[in-house]
Amino acid sequence: MMPLCRRASVNRPPTPDVSNDKESEPTLQEIINVKLIESGEKERLKELLRERLIECGWRDELKAQCRAFTRKKGRANITVDDLVRTITPKGRAMVPDNVKAELLQRIRSFLLSDALWP
Amino acid sequence: MGSKHKLRWAAEGYKPCQHLLAYRLKHGAESFRVLQKCLRAGGTPGRACIKREEKEVPRCASCGRAHGRLYACLLCATIGCWSPPEAPHARLHAQTAPGHDLAVDVDRAELFCCACSDQVYDPDFDRAVIGAQSAPLLGGTAKSYEKEHPINGKDAADCVKRRRGAEYKPWVPTPGEQLALRQGSTPLKEDESLPSGLRGLNNLGNTCFMNSVLQALLHTPPLRNYFLSDRHNRAICQRRAPHLCLGCDMDTIFSAAFSGERTPYSPAQFLYSWWRHAANLAGYEQQDAHEFFISTVDGIHANSGTTSPRARHSQGGRAGDVDCRCIVHRVFSGLLRSDVTCTVCGFTSTTYDPCVDISLDLEPDIGTEKLFVDPVLNGESGGRSSRAASSAFSASTLLGCLDRFTRPERLGANEKFFCQRCQTRQESIKQMSVRKLPLVLCFHIKRFEHSSTRNTSRKVDRYVQFPFFLDMLPYLSSSIVRSRHGNRLLSVDSEETGLPSMHSPFSSEFELFAVVTHSGKLDSGHYVCFLRLSGRWYKCDDAWVTRVSEDVVRASQGYMLYYVQKTLSYKASDLLPSSTPDILDKNGKHGGYSCVSGLPSMVNGV
Repeated sequence: MMPLCRRASVNRPPTPDVSNDKESEPTLQEIINVKLIESGEKERLKELLRERLIECGWRDELKAQCRAFTRKKGRANITVDDLVRTITPKGRAMVPDNVKAELLQRIRSFLLSDALWP
Repeated sequence: MGSKHKLRWAAEGYKPCQHLLAYRLKHGAESFRVLQKCLRAGGTPGRACIKREEKEVPRCASCGRAHGRLYACLLCATIGCWSPPEAPHARLHAQTAPGHDLAVDVDRAELFCCACSDQVYDPDFDRAVIGAQSAPLLGGTAKSYEKEHPINGKDAADCVKRRRGAEYKPWVPTPGEQLALRQGSTPLKEDESLPSGLRGLNNLGNTCFMNSVLQALLHTPPLRNYFLSDRHNRAICQRRAPHLCLGCDMDTIFSAAFSGERTPYSPAQFLYSWWRHAANLAGYEQQDAHEFFISTVDGIHANSGTTSPRARHSQGGRAGDVDCRCIVHRVFSGLLRSDVTCTVCGFTSTTYDPCVDISLDLEPDIGTEKLFVDPVLNGESGGRSSRAASSAFSASTLLGCLDRFTRPERLGANEKFFCQRCQTRQESIKQMSVRKLPLVLCFHIKRFEHSSTRNTSRKVDRYVQFPFFLDMLPYLSSSIVRSRHGNRLLSVDSEETGLPSMHSPFSSEFELFAVVTHSGKLDSGHYVCFLRLSGRWYKCDDAWVTRVSEDVVRASQGYMLYYVQKTLSYKASDLLPSSTPDILDKNGKHGGYSCVSGLPSMVNGV
């Protein structure tokens, strides 16, 4: 077991001082995101979403679209960013309404639970 | 080491980028193995991610961002965010710190080259990911490591995690297995002229009710697929003797029917098991086919689910539960919605009831026999408007019966319903609709009327015309509720917001595949089953199976109708010609067969 490059610590960028940032106030979206991760709810929601999207065939359709896009561009000319940029809007549009409603309901009830807010 | 991997890469047509090669040269492939300890399996199997404390939120070292794609540098574990075109901090890190080009996606455990701005692949990396995923199975020594070296930008040993699940290896039988296959099996007799699974069932003494329903079940596509793919194996089923397991007996019948043998089969074992399950119906009397169907479904539900641990859990659910995972409920169970509206204040109370079939009433005889609607015209069209042409709520068609089933019904004065808003009993209106459609829809036409006043039963012989293709869209809760409110979105009922998109247009279309008919009188009648196989119709009259034309089926007196969702039937059955067959059954709809003498009374099914 080889410990790796300790000298890297010298070149590491300094830990940012949050209070010096121009945007010191975290946005609501960030706050919610952090709360979701801290409580472990994000993992659960991800699992639920994964299950629903597989059930309704969304994943298979999107896979087919990615394949078609990759074939069109050529395997060697494609990067992750290209795929993400192109496929994301399509994927977002293809999510069925009931899945969106269910997830929103879950998030809403999570945010309304008293244990969350000090 | 290097050449072996170059070979492996070349075999897959992949060229690693120069940065990856440089990294490997400098730190060696073993460096990836160290990173294995920093990985853990993700939520779903086959996924891995970087380990973190329970409440720890990975953030970009430069901007503190916590969402989107985050990459952890392989060498120093600095986390950078990646959101082109603005501020890809991960790339900045690679530029400022030479040699730190490679990073790992924090949530997905994918190797990324920040200099090339793209994902790269390495077999040693993959191996580490797989190793990390199987670590928990072996006792998980990696967990302790996590406590000592949490990743948060400080001096953490970088671990390359290998992702990807186990490699797929196609199964090739060993010579020993091949021998076992040869010795333990017999080849099916190929008979191309007849569809597979078509076999007569011997009448064991007024058992035509059982034979008809069994024939329908034998060719219910999801049920047939389940048993033929050995999902219920009677050799390993734990409920075997001395307990009875109707699932095992069904498995026996499926094996016998699809074995290729065309001589009639005697389902004696199943009959005996069913007698033990439904002791009150045992005996050689003629029974009601619908009652047999319900009790068989119940029996398979109760006695099944022992060959898989997950199914064992379903036995706690009550019978007919929509969430029950046993095969018969997955196939037949649907959900009915009942709305009771107070006529005074308009408050509606909604209840949901699971069901395995839909029993339809026939309207009392009002002389509608004269309106024998042309089957070709009326058969394929849905919608209520076309049927309004015939008498209102004429029950001589299946669609008419469904209209009747879902119409708003005024409950009588002696059936006042307690309204929660008025806090008193009020007259109310009740309306039924279908909330969730099953894979296979079974309609039961209530032909047997039992009058409690006169203590007599009688059979309604009226012909009911049924379509070969059925669209249940107008009878779904979404349609019914929407039409009740005149297409307005007034309701605050949260369940209704999900309804319109719940059923795509395709999942409400059904096609007919089996018809159980009854001919004769209440106490001396005979059941016959018509099956549609490979686009052709066959009449299964106990041990006699003959091919018939569509018209014979249309003209028959339907008692139980089985429809399967169109998306489940194979395309092949649509391509075969369903025109005039070679052997026409000219004997008329009620074949000349009668039951074994003895003529006991028939139990009504209402």
